[in-house]
Amino acid sequence: MAEQQAILSGDASLVSGRASSSRISDRYPLGAILLCVVLLGAAAAATLSNLVVQLPPALWLDALASPDIDDMRQVLVHYAFLPRLAVSLLCGAALGLAGTVLQQVLRNPLASPETIGVSAGAHLALALATLLAPSLLAHGREWVALAGALTALAAVFALSRHKGLSPLSVVLAGLVVSLYAGAIGAALVVLRHEWLASLFIWGAGSLGQQDWSKTLWLLPRLGGAALLIGLMVRPLTLLGLDDEGARSLGVPLGAYRFAGLAAAVALIAFVVAAVGVIGFVGLAAATLARIGGARRLGQQLVMASLIGAALLWAADQGVQIATGPQGDLLPTGAMTALLGAPLLLWLLPRLALGLETPALGSERLPRARHSALVLAVIGGVLLLLLGLALLYAPGPHGWAFAFGDQLQPLLSWRLPRVSAALSAGAMLALAGLMMQRLTGNPMASPEVLGISAGAALGMMVALFSLSDAGRPVQTAAATIGAFAALLVTLSIGRRAAYAPERLLLAGVAMTALFDALILVLTATGDPRAMLLLNWLTGSTYSVDTGSAFFTSTTAFCLFLATPLFMRWLDMLPLGSAAVQSLGVNLRATRLLVLLMVAALTAASTLVVGPLTFIGLMAPHLARRLGLSRALPQAIGAMLAGALIMVCADWVGRTAIFPRQIPAGLVATLIGGPVLMWLLRRR
Amino acid sequence: MGRSRPSSANRHATLETDQEARPGRTANRARGWITRRGTFALFALPLAVLMPRAAAAKPLRIVCLDDGLAETLLMLGVTPIAVADHEVWEKWVVEPPLPPEVADIGTILEPNLEFLQQLRPDIILSTPYLDGIKPLLERVAPVTTIGIYTPDGQPYRRAIEATRQLAALVGKESEGEALIAATEACFADVRQRLEPLSARPIYAVSFLDPRNVRVYGEKSLFQAVFDRIGIRNAWTGETNYWGFATVGIDGLATSSDARLAYLEPLPEGAGGTLTESPVWNAMPFVRNRSIMRLAPALMFGALPSASRFARLLAAALTAEHAGG
Repeated sequence: MAEQQAILSGDASLVSGRASSSRISDRYPLGAILLCVVLLGAAAAATLSNLVVQLPPALWLDALASPDIDDMRQVLVHYAFLPRLAVSLLCGAALGLAGTVLQQVLRNPLASPETIGVSAGAHLALALATLLAPSLLAHGREWVALAGALTALAAVFALSRHKGLSPLSVVLAGLVVSLYAGAIGAALVVLRHEWLASLFIWGAGSLGQQDWSKTLWLLPRLGGAALLIGLMVRPLTLLGLDDEGARSLGVPLGAYRFAGLAAAVALIAFVVAAVGVIGFVGLAAATLARIGGARRLGQQLVMASLIGAALLWAADQGVQIATGPQGDLLPTGAMTALLGAPLLLWLLPRLALGLETPALGSERLPRARHSALVLAVIGGVLLLLLGLALLYAPGPHGWAFAFGDQLQPLLSWRLPRVSAALSAGAMLALAGLMMQRLTGNPMASPEVLGISAGAALGMMVALFSLSDAGRPVQTAAATIGAFAALLVTLSIGRRAAYAPERLLLAGVAMTALFDALILVLTATGDPRAMLLLNWLTGSTYSVDTGSAFFTSTTAFCLFLATPLFMRWLDMLPLGSAAVQSLGVNLRATRLLVLLMVAALTAASTLVVGPLTFIGLMAPHLARRLGLSRALPQAIGAMLAGALIMVCADWVGRTAIFPRQIPAGLVATLIGGPVLMWLLRRR
Repeated sequence: MGRSRPSSANRHATLETDQEARPGRTANRARGWITRRGTFALFALPLAVLMPRAAAAKPLRIVCLDDGLAETLLMLGVTPIAVADHEVWEKWVVEPPLPPEVADIGTILEPNLEFLQQLRPDIILSTPYLDGIKPLLERVAPVTTIGIYTPDGQPYRRAIEATRQLAALVGKESEGEALIAATEACFADVRQRLEPLSARPIYAVSFLDPRNVRVYGEKSLFQAVFDRIGIRNAWTGETNYWGFATVGIDGLATSSDARLAYLEPLPEGAGGTLTESPVWNAMPFVRNRSIMRLAPALMFGALPSASRFARLLAAALTAEHAGG
């Protein structure tokens, strides 16, 4: 309840600048209207300048009404330029509308097609169908997309239900689901990369058209969903109140909530099915409408649709100006994500999200009497697995144990990979444990902190700006990127005294920014993008003795410092008030823990890539096994993380021999479902 | 050819024992009969792969990580013991055929190092693209890096250099020169045959999906072929490092009398939906029915791919001329 009030007051604070102004602006969202006019003006100007390049103004009317089929310029304007414009308007409006409905129904100012994982789910479903069951697509792309979107949404709800669907937990669950969908997508690319180039262009939201069929396909579907939403404005308005208030007015909450969600998800699924993922337009439009002064839901829905349409129109025309009408493909959807992620970062300090109450302390989970015994068992399993990973693998003659003389050369390959996987898994687990105890949020993990994304960004810059960047250069660049991301995250965090929720959301935005960059790069079809993808998916392939030694030594040094943190980690889940009353300097403590997490994450990301769930999963596993105090849980989590990572490396090396599946990817594919199962059992 | 070369099972069986019998490059070079064969190799090059090799010689055990280098080796009459991504050869390279006993060592970016070590190669052929894993490969065997696609964008000149380098490596210099001569001869022949048909420029593209293509231009191998067979490339726009640009099909409307040559393999669905689109149907090359479908030819290949592309294009153009 307190949380909902906080959100509502957050809404109020967003528009508080308007409080003292005249009554007209009380009634009309002047700011939003002004913004809309400016955007539309810019879009129209860009459109004119694009059109002039393609066709002399004298022929515009002809091209619009009855294009001369002998004049290629007129054909292009009529069948490529104009439908593209129409699709950009339709999709932008649909996303803005969907974003507003999601925010209203979920009472979550950060809800949007991307932040709750719906777009990613729809996209993955289409990709899977394209690869595995193309006949499904014949029945209608929208059904496949819808199924994927609903599955993703169900997963997000299942993951965040125990926290009452609070804004932060929903968005974090949305990020996890998006990450998982992305990991499966990456697996598809790594395993069958040669003909997936088209999947990427489409996935990145290319708005290009070659006839009016998509416009005509979208129009009735989007119109139907929008009409449904229009009929529900009054009940949806009541959903914004708290449950009791709405129920006392006799509104069947559940039914309307479901109908509103279904309509919003359908809008998103249609857009994804038609043009792919258009990043962050939904979030931007809905938020800008509200900041612009749209207070009543009806106003918000109208303004968000208009702003969404204007935004996407302007962005798409801008992209066409940049590339020229026949230039290289720069997918509009990825470009909007590039612009949208900074917007999310900018919004963070300006939104009131409510206080998150720590959840770990209040759980009713088993407590093991003999933690040492549990730890010994995990350790034993780890040793057994280590033996298997080092000795048992397929070769030219099939599966075999390697002994004696045969073993020596094989060990020189296997030992660095296994030891690097071991160290990375343990470090990620420890980092995850620290993040979860620091934030009191079971969905926290180093992946979410954005440091992994920063390391990957650094690596990407090295790969594309320097020709023939070798591994040392790539490593150095990744380290610089990781620490740059840390600085950004910390500078955002400092304003809020390192309040956990800000940090996590900053991480969300950084990850989104990074994903958008990757999409743009892969969509250009540059073969170097494959190198990057290989590393992103967490391949331990190029780990040599030197880097394995480096990783292990770093891990060892960091583990030595761990006991110093244990007292704090025991206290932090009690909540900031309790910790301060114990005489601990909260700011300094949080900063130190964050630095430790950053170092652990950077060192491990270099080895296994930014996309594992170890940091999220291992602490939960340890907790489930009954290790409740910080030190035993930390040791248990580290052993479990190492176990999962070594196992993932071994499976990745052997499952499709002589090909290999990157260890990070295997860990994600194993870890995702395990994690979801763990969280559902709360 | 199966008789004179150890079968796959044989090779595996001898893996552990033949290390001491590692062949030297000089031994290969000393074989004088090679030069005699070189004189007629110009005509018999496509058959060179099929010719029996001296059963007694221990050939160099070569692992080749690039399809362009591998096809060149095959044309020189040398079969690598392993390549990366064996199963995509038929889809992208086709010719010369890759003998089935050539082992697959996984993907190009991550060849299986354990497997590689157990194959005991004498040399690994790599490209600058794979410099990131070169230190790892060097732990298995000496690595020779040969770059055909480099920032200076001269793939044809570099393919000739690569052919000479490979020929010297396996001691088949005369076959190398013969391959170069045969390629030039092929171009000259095609140029002569196409002389009456070469007035109109041609787009060479691969479909990514029904709406987008890779079009090959400056810095590409196909551009070099166009230059040598006297055909104008209709795509004069910018291209990347690898010699292609990614554009929507409407980007191919700049030249009104151009023909379109598109290469297999097609992505799923590209063929079916094309004909329904008004933009496609308004494209000049669709309206005057100047579309040619070509069998696969490796766009990132070396001399064999270059001459294969020239031959495929010549056949398609003459067939079109005869038909229309």
